[in-house]
Amino acid sequence: MERHHGRLYRIALSYLRDADEALDAVQETFVKAYRNVSRWDPDSEVTPWLTRIAVNHCIDVYRRRRRIVTDPEPQGGSDHDDRATASEPSPERRVLSRELAERISRALRGLPEQQRAVFVLRHYEGLTLQEIAASMDISLGTVKSTLHRAIHRLRERLEGLRA
Amino acid sequence: MTLFHERWRRRVSLLASEALEESERASTLAHLEGCAACREELAGLRRLLDLVAADPVREARPEIPLRALVARVQARLDDAEAAPTRPHARPVAAWWPALAATATVVALLALPRSAERPAEPTQAQAQVPQVPPELLQRLEANAAREQAARYLSAAQDVLLTVAATPRDCDRTSGRVDMAAEARRSRELLARRALLELDHAQVAAARPVLDDVERVLRDVAALEACARSQDLALIHREIRERRLLMKIDLMTRELEG
Repeated sequence: MERHHGRLYRIALSYLRDADEALDAVQETFVKAYRNVSRWDPDSEVTPWLTRIAVNHCIDVYRRRRRIVTDPEPQGGSDHDDRATASEPSPERRVLSRELAERISRALRGLPEQQRAVFVLRHYEGLTLQEIAASMDISLGTVKSTLHRAIHRLRERLEGLRA
Repeated sequence: MTLFHERWRRRVSLLASEALEESERASTLAHLEGCAACREELAGLRRLLDLVAADPVREARPEIPLRALVARVQARLDDAEAAPTRPHARPVAAWWPALAATATVVALLALPRSAERPAEPTQAQAQVPQVPPELLQRLEANAAREQAARYLSAAQDVLLTVAATPRDCDRTSGRVDMAAEARRSRELLARRALLELDHAQVAAARPVLDDVERVLRDVAALEACARSQDLALIHREIRERRLLMKIDLMTRELEG
């Protein structure tokens, strides 16, 4: 648990952009892992299995949240909680970091669930495409096309926000 | 944009994501030499990824201590015990995989639990089969070795690209494009802090990991369009430390 909780937290926070929800997601990932341990193949690695549980949980949370919140854009603030970010050396730097996190949060929020998950696993956690395929139980070809679409959509969103 | 170009666009996205296999990477780089639109596309995507690389969320740590998280997980498991499931009827043949799997998850969950709840074992704990401590230690050590081997392998990919002299970004001043390698080095340095080096089998990798870290710091500090003199210094360091060979040997050792 000690080994995985930081990594799972970052995946959940990158996906959900909310510190409390991310912490809940880590907690639920371990609970589900513990309950479903008999389904895990001991010949396979633990990391992709836990990652899959965490990503699926994040997608569920995101779907539920989308049903409740009809307006996907925040009004005057990000849903990213900067309590969760590392301490920064100066107030100016903190403001810049917060603005950047907010822009990325908004842009990521515009991605469909699977694109968002693939992008987070590749560009936040540095997983290989094969590892992403194993973690999400999808084919390598699907990972490639999903990553391609995600990166372009994110670029459009970020440029739109800048404009 | 033609269908033909759409295929290259996809390749360019994967190139920017450093997710192309070597043969595809080489053909994509060759295509870029003659395609201004794709070069521009790549530059735009790299700017985007640089922005994402600076996202403060990457540095985030859970704001509650691990012990508190373990207690929360334990409480959720205790709550769920109202509707228990039964391991008793499981056939013997199916029992060993479940035991090994349980052992690993117990290893994941159990570390600080004893400090958290030293008293009576809960129902959830009572249901978990007793796992020999040697097995837990072995599983932990294996996971740590896997993690270190994967890290070294990723670092080797970066250093191989650096050592192979990357593309020019400004031929007149002899500068080379190191944006992707610098970004990847920063990501690896962040991952380095998470490696578990307490196990004896992994502790042997520490000197190589320290050497790798030193060189990755140099690569991470390079400008996106780096001076060839700066790169030459890194080449020399990689050569003098025999870093690629050491990584190769250590990765093989860790992978058994």
